[in-house]
Amino acid sequence: MAALIVCAGFSLPLAADRQLELAVKATFLYKFAPFVTWPAEAFDTPSSPFRLCVVGTDPFGALLDDAVRGQTVMSRPIALRRLASVDRQSGCHAVFVSGSAVQSAAEALRAVDRTATLTVTDATLGPHRGIVHFVITNDRVTFDIDNAAAARNRLSISSKLLALARNVRGQPLAGSQ
Amino acid sequence: MRQQKVAPARGLQPVHALAGALVLLLAGIVASIYQDRTFHEQRLRELTVQAEILAASVTAALVFDDSQTVQEHVSALAINRAVAAAGVHDRDRNLIASIGTGSVTTTAAGQSEPSGPGSTVHTSVMHEGEAIGYVYIREREEPLSLRIARHVPMMLLAIMAALFVALMGTLQRTLHEANRQLEVRAVTLAETNQMLQSEMEERSRAEEALRQSQKMEAVGQLAGGVAHDFNNLLTIIRGNLHLLRQTRPEGREETDEFIVNAELAADRAGHLVRRLLSFSRRQPPSSIPVHLNDIARGMQELIAHSVGKNVQVVWTLSSTWETVCDTNQMENVILNLAINARDAMPDGGTVTIETVDLPGFEPEAGELQPGDYVALRVRDTGIGMSGDVSSRAIEPFFTTKPHGEGTGLGLSTAFAFARHSRGHLQIESAPGSGTTVTILLPRHRIMSEEVA
Repeated sequence: MAALIVCAGFSLPLAADRQLELAVKATFLYKFAPFVTWPAEAFDTPSSPFRLCVVGTDPFGALLDDAVRGQTVMSRPIALRRLASVDRQSGCHAVFVSGSAVQSAAEALRAVDRTATLTVTDATLGPHRGIVHFVITNDRVTFDIDNAAAARNRLSISSKLLALARNVRGQPLAGSQ
Repeated sequence: MRQQKVAPARGLQPVHALAGALVLLLAGIVASIYQDRTFHEQRLRELTVQAEILAASVTAALVFDDSQTVQEHVSALAINRAVAAAGVHDRDRNLIASIGTGSVTTTAAGQSEPSGPGSTVHTSVMHEGEAIGYVYIREREEPLSLRIARHVPMMLLAIMAALFVALMGTLQRTLHEANRQLEVRAVTLAETNQMLQSEMEERSRAEEALRQSQKMEAVGQLAGGVAHDFNNLLTIIRGNLHLLRQTRPEGREETDEFIVNAELAADRAGHLVRRLLSFSRRQPPSSIPVHLNDIARGMQELIAHSVGKNVQVVWTLSSTWETVCDTNQMENVILNLAINARDAMPDGGTVTIETVDLPGFEPEAGELQPGDYVALRVRDTGIGMSGDVSSRAIEPFFTTKPHGEGTGLGLSTAFAFARHSRGHLQIESAPGSGTTVTILLPRHRIMSEEVA
């Protein structure tokens, strides 16, 4: 059932520049949003902000603040929050999970399981996988998508995004090329 | 020739056929152009759809600046033979990916336009309500050979139809021409047929005349032979009667009356024989140049006496020319004709006897030569004759008179006389309208007489 989709590398060369890699990932965090559909009850009002959370150790720092400044997602302002731990009441629409001494990555992922939350993990920070999992391929930032996990969280991911992913696991397979 | 029946060829003229053929060709060309345009529009619609699909599929790649994926999507279009060039620009009109030849220029409207032939379709890559990129696809110009090949069936059809129409026009014209000639021939044929028929009738008339003439000849020879022998017998009878009168004993005068009666009968028989011999030409005629008027004047008293008081005789003697005939026979003929006329009018009437000159007379074909003739006519106002009777009237011994009153030799002798005088006898009659008998005799000229 897991179909491996060979996906494109990115045109943006990272070389050994860790900073640039993080900047790209920071941008990606909110760029995923337009390709994901949240259930209607995930937002209180049509103008409610899109809450982007970073749980655990924050690798981005100011890079993320710069990236989301002035940006909107689906006509909503972006509310960036940095949390030590996350639970079902945190109200995050998307959460970057890195894990910390307070709450491990696995615990954090479990905490938001089956809530309308898009979880993002990074291969450079550990083996734990969220719905979106950053992977460096050929010096480029790529990502895998776990569509089954997304379905569990009642999220619908656009085939356009799935087509861009390096690997996609879980149903549906729509958008595979 | 009845030309008015030969109408000029109508219907489909070659010029009409040519016009029809041209119209068909034109229609074929118009149809081809229309088809070409439709085909091109269809291609452009397909390319527009293709561009929209491309725009949709590169949305995510553009968002994540994944130019490699964009290039892959664009390259996939190379499979489509209709695509000459394609490309994707980002929101700042920088070319991200492209295939195909030709440099890309920016038009006044701000759209990227690949140079080269063929139309280009454009669409924008929309994401979150704004254009994050632009897609263009330029169609590949269809090779001329392919376009021509696409129109060949249509043009072939049009040309064939045009040829067919032209052929039909030519055929129609040929047919009309043939019909016209046939009509002309039919008219000629009808004329020839008519001529042939009239010739046949003429020939049949000539044959009938020949038969009649041969019959008369045969009867004449027969009558002549009999009359000759009969004449010899009469000579013996007369001689013996003469001897009987001389050797009569005296005192037997009463027998003289019997002898006289016998001699009278012999005279009458002799007269009859002379007429028969005259009919058969056994008796040589004593023809001399004579004026018919002179003969007629000499007979006026005799004829007036012969026809009786019930019948009026009118003489119209206007002839001035001479003719050649036997005077005695001519007198006989006039007397006979006058008596016939009298017998045709038992209740009285008028007999007109006339002589007239006929200059340049053209008699009916086959009987006489055209020329100057002198005519003697005897016309009565009597009962006339049916066609049957008048056609047999000149036959010897044919008579309509009661038995013993007519000899049946009057008209036949007159006919023979006319023929022997190089002339002719005509009878015009119808029941109730009287009868006219004409004797035509050729004019006598002093010069020709000497030559003859």
